[in-house]
Formats: sequence, C-alpha cells, structure tokens
Amino acid sequence: MPESLTAVIDALPYLLQGAMVTLVVVVGAMALGFALGAPLAVGQVYGHAVLRRFIAIYVWFFRGIPLLVFLFLFYFGLCTAFDINLSAFTVAIIVLGLISSAYQSQIFRGAILSLPEGQLKAARALGMSDFKAISFIIFPQALRLSIPGWSNEYSILLKDSAVTYALGVAEIMARAHFVATRTYQHLPLYFAAGVIFLVLTWLGTKALRLLEERARIPGYSPH
Amino acid sequence: MTGPILRIENISKRYGKKDVLRGASLDVNKGDLKILIGPSGAGKSTLLQCINFLVKPDEGRVWLDDQEVHYANKRDLCAYRQKVGMIFQDFNLFDHLTALENVRIGMVRVKGMGKAEAGVRAVMELERVGLKEHMQKYPAQLSGGQKQRVSIARALAMDPKVMLLDEPTSALDPELIGEVHTVIRDLGNNGMTMIMATHQIGFASSLASEIVFMEDGRIIERGTPDKIFNNAENARTREFCSKITELYGERG
Repeated sequence: MPESLTAVIDALPYLLQGAMVTLVVVVGAMALGFALGAPLAVGQVYGHAVLRRFIAIYVWFFRGIPLLVFLFLFYFGLCTAFDINLSAFTVAIIVLGLISSAYQSQIFRGAILSLPEGQLKAARALGMSDFKAISFIIFPQALRLSIPGWSNEYSILLKDSAVTYALGVAEIMARAHFVATRTYQHLPLYFAAGVIFLVLTWLGTKALRLLEERARIPGYSPH
Repeated sequence: MTGPILRIENISKRYGKKDVLRGASLDVNKGDLKILIGPSGAGKSTLLQCINFLVKPDEGRVWLDDQEVHYANKRDLCAYRQKVGMIFQDFNLFDHLTALENVRIGMVRVKGMGKAEAGVRAVMELERVGLKEHMQKYPAQLSGGQKQRVSIARALAMDPKVMLLDEPTSALDPELIGEVHTVIRDLGNNGMTMIMATHQIGFASSLASEIVFMEDGRIIERGTPDKIFNNAENARTREFCSKITELYGERG
C-alpha cells in the first residue's frame, strides 16, 4: 500500500473527530446566528427608525470585517484585555455566530418582505396585536421561505470554520495540518480534509432540503 | 330608539398631495346593508380600511355602539377590530394554515379560547359557508370562491357586530361569484350589519338597504336602490349607474 494512503487511513479517526468539532462549531454558530438574526430582521422591517438604523449599522459592522480579524480581536484582544476566560472553541462559536446573525438577518428580512402585505392586514383586522400577527402569521411563513437561504449560509459557515484553526480550535484543518507536518504527507492529508468538507456540505444541504420538503405548504408556491 | 350601531364622521385621508377621502360620514343602523359604489379611485376601499383603521385616517371619528373608538390606544384598537369583520378583495387567507386553522386562529390567539372549543366553532362556521369537507385543505388548494367563503367564516367566528366587505367578488371568475353572493345574502337575511363595496349592481340592488355613491373621496349621493338606479338626482350618479348597469347587467 502506498505510504500516502496509509497516512490518510491512520489519520482518519483523528480527522473525523475534527469533523465532529467542525460540525458542533457550525451548528452552534448557525443557532446563535438565528437566535440573534431573526429578531434583528423583525426589528429592521417593523421597528422604529432609530432601531432600524442601529440594526443596519450592526449588519454593516459584522459583514464588513474579515473573520480572521474578528477572531483575533475577540480571542487575543478582548479576552486578554478584560481577563475573560473563554476557550478557543467557545470564541469560534460566538464570533461565527455574531457574523452569521448579520447574514441571517438579511435572509430573514428578505423572506418577510416577500410575503404579501395582506397577511399582516388580515391578522390586524382579526384584532391581533402586531406582536401576535408577527409571531403567528408572519414568522412561520418567513421561516419556511428562509430555508434555501440557510442552505447557503450553512455551506459558507462550514468553510469559514476552517479559519478558526488560527486560534487552535481542533477542527478538521488544524488536525490535517498537525498530521501533515509530522508525516510530511501534505498532499493526501489536505486532500482528505477537502473531501471531508465536501461530504459535510453535502450532508448539511441535504438535511436542509429535507426540512424544506417537510415544511412545504401543500399547493403553495409564492412565485 | 337606539342610535346607529356604527357612526363614521368626517373621515379624511390624504396620500402626499392626493386627497383620497374628503370628509366622508356614514351612519349605519343594526341590520343595514350599505353598498358603496363608485369608480375606481373614488375612495371606497380606503373608506372601508379607515373604518377599522388598517389605514389611519388623518381626520374623522368613529363610534361603535355609541362608544368612540380611540384607535391610538392599541388595546382599544384590537378590541374594536374584533367586533368589525373585514373581507378583502384578494381574500388574504393565512397561507400556512388550513381552512380550519384559518378560522380557528383568531378565536384562539385573540379571544383566548381553547383549541378544542374554537375548533368546534370553526367547523360550524365552515359548515355554514358550505366548506366543511374542505376544512383540512390549505388556501393554495382552494378555488377563489372557496377562499373567499373561508375568509367570511374566519370573520364570522369572531362574532362581529359589523362586517366590512371590500369588493368581495372582484377577484373571482364569473362562475364563482354566485357561491359567495349566496353566503353574503344569507348573512343579510340573518340580520348582519354590513358595509360592502362592489360593482355587482344587480346583487347590490336586490339586497341593499341603501346605496352610497362615492366619487373623488366624497359621498355624492345616497338612497334606496330604486332611487339611485332609477331616479338619481346627481348627473354623475346617473352616468355611473347607466355605465355600470350596462357592464354588470340589470339584475344578477
């Protein structure tokens, strides 16, 4: 058996542990991004002018600075300056989550804006407060329309998560690098890392596709 | 002698430089069916939407049961809207909910009824509009006429005192208009108080207690169907009525 293949086979369990770390970081960041992004989107569509301005600045800020800068700023900068004791793993989830919230808010905002205006009118006409109308009528529909956008966001987060290797998070890239520098089998190991990312992308988009299918409203096509 | 159930006084609305409504007033007694007619842009739809404050009037006041509606107070506004059912031209059913859920959601989320109790009532209302067997369908699986009947059931489930109908059959294919008219006629016969904008002159004249002709944001003339359609005082009313009679038929 060629040496390159044995190197990959030997490293595989170690790399797959890294894949689990990557997945937890990505799913955690997506969840955090959603928890922050959804209310941001609602605020940006229905909020007071001051709130809308504030959210626009938030989105500009988190979309405008490179991920690596944020990671270093947070981990080496803020955590050191204020003596906050967070692991690289936690910082990775927080930073990716904050950035993702900016992108997810725009996915969700687009979904809300694509709903017919009559939905909110009809809800108000029944006597619903705006809060109820948004919670029970707008939100569930916008959520469904957001799923294709999330599929995109997931694959971007997955690839961005490799950058957290710079903080020493033991994800796929960090582990591939670690083994490669010890075995000198750079080509097969980084190739294996790439394949693992591809598989994870495929799995995630497949899962979201299934979710989209399950959440589909019978007979409904907005466009 | 009690006063009108719904009193609308001097409602005005302007969008930018355009006056859409210029001081429209209307008294509606219990059991009345007022029909608003008039050309597009006359302000019929805006007037209806101002009555339940989906469009906020710039001026004017509204009373329901001798209580003035203070619409700036959100709680008062929501309480008032529960008592005023609204039917839209394009139905506006909630697309993610089945027919049954569409009818039930107001009772559950606004009135705070239990799901089971509200469900029983929702089935009853759907039966009343002839759609019990379609209750598990989503709006996208229903025809236009069926959608509009669900939306009527949704409004009725809230026990409204007044119903506002904004051209309820304008978006429907001609062969589907009849089924919606039948439901509205039943409502009228059962004493529901309604204000309806429509171009269906034949239907209107057979049912209306009063026809209200609007143009340029004003109420130009009002009277019994016979007076408006046959002996209108205003030249514009006569002109509009003869045109629309030609288009939509004498009796329908």
